[in-house]
Amino acid sequence: MGGLLRQVGRHIERWYSIPLLLLIWQAAVSSGLVESRLLPGLGRVAAALIRDTGNGVLPYHTAVTLTRAALGFALAALAGVPFAAAMARSALIRNLFEPIFFFGYPVPKIALFPVFTYVFGIGSPSKIAFAFLECLYPIVVTAYLGFRAIPVRLVWSAENMGAPHRIIIGRVIVPAAMPGIFSGLRIALPIAIIVIVLTEMIGDSRGLGYYIAISGTRFEFANVYAAILVIGACGFVLDRGLLRLRRAVLHWEHDTEGAR
Amino acid sequence: MKIPAAVQHWIVPIVVVAAWEGFGRAGLMPRYLPAPTLIVSSLFELAADGELGRAVATSLYRVAVGFVLGTGAGTLVGLGAGTVPGIRHFFDPLVAFLYAVPKIAFLPVFLLLFGLGHESKIALIAFSCFFPVFIASRHAVLAVDKHLIWTAHNMGAARATTFFRVMVPAAAPQLFAGARIGLAHAFILLFAAELMGARGGIGPLISEGEDAGRFDLMFAGIVTFAVLGLLGDRILMAVRGLVLRGQTIGTLEQAVR
Repeated sequence: MGGLLRQVGRHIERWYSIPLLLLIWQAAVSSGLVESRLLPGLGRVAAALIRDTGNGVLPYHTAVTLTRAALGFALAALAGVPFAAAMARSALIRNLFEPIFFFGYPVPKIALFPVFTYVFGIGSPSKIAFAFLECLYPIVVTAYLGFRAIPVRLVWSAENMGAPHRIIIGRVIVPAAMPGIFSGLRIALPIAIIVIVLTEMIGDSRGLGYYIAISGTRFEFANVYAAILVIGACGFVLDRGLLRLRRAVLHWEHDTEGAR
Repeated sequence: MKIPAAVQHWIVPIVVVAAWEGFGRAGLMPRYLPAPTLIVSSLFELAADGELGRAVATSLYRVAVGFVLGTGAGTLVGLGAGTVPGIRHFFDPLVAFLYAVPKIAFLPVFLLLFGLGHESKIALIAFSCFFPVFIASRHAVLAVDKHLIWTAHNMGAARATTFFRVMVPAAAPQLFAGARIGLAHAFILLFAAELMGARGGIGPLISEGEDAGRFDLMFAGIVTFAVLGLLGDRILMAVRGLVLRGQTIGTLEQAVR
């Protein structure tokens, strides 16, 4: 019983700030401290959320945004991790591409988005291609550093024990590089969502970014906040999912700070 | 024959630019990809009549003030969250929820709050810098080697002394890593906010070039923006190198510079 109480107490201690902030929000609106057009009350946000979820508008735009983000992210992961491995293994590939990734990393790639719309058209392809590019950088750089940081001793030991090349890659190198790969994926996942919503706001007729932009110009701020809540929830759930996957894959890595 | 690594570094960029130029001259590139020499000449054109200088000054002002405010706040609150469990428990759920929300989604709200001028962009940039910087600082403080802190306590150092002389220096590399991510976010927000509703700055320069069908001007803006982002990062890394003299020797971080 005491254990249960303690657990409940710990949960309250860890999560109280969200309800507290919502409470302050509602109090500020009800007391007329802030203009209710700018900060609609929680009831109106909830009403907008329920109405547009019920009539299928929000689910539709959410599905569009998430599909685009998932495609860009998945393509970047599928291309980036093998490429990082190739860069770590071959001096030629490393010398050819390392400057592009390390020098290009801090360059704000968002400036290239107008060009993307010309090359790939204004709809989904340009957004997916752009999310791919934005995700590729952190995935390649982090995975590459992960591959390079593998202690050579591990490979030597495996070779010494007579493991064939294929087994060394599959059982030593890839698992040892997994933490680096997952760190890159975790950096890239919110980037994918951010970039897709951002480009949808710049110009599209579908997706949550469009929904926010159009609601904002109509001064329907309850809908803007409803969409922000949906994006936040999606990002949170996806990040937790990735962490779970990491824990399942890296089952030998327990309770370290990096795993949290 | 073996090509030295330093030469290999340059092969891909030079081949791409040369091919672009060659195909552009031959008229094989689409109209929206003007040859690099054309872009450079319109850059000079823009610089000569002072338009480029004004746009750069406007954008730099927005991004610099926003970045300093957001990074300052993120570092302070992050250090507090790393040290005091109460602060940590208050901010953790909020940050976990808001981190993946594109801060540009708050643009309509910020425009109404702060108006169409500089303030709304600066506030949005600061808001967006806050999150990565907060996360990095919070983790940095928690990851400081406990032995260092115990040692300081053991030698009778006051709490404040331990904080400023042991924890902050030990966390400094991570703090800079956070500031670096914050800077990247600042430039993304700057671009998006300027493109979606701003007067003056590089964003409008790009969209005006696009609207007028002057793709060389559009690219001149894009190049300027990219160079600014790169320079900002270089400056931050230079400051980091000065502050962390001796701390990064022999670490992998040296490679990432």
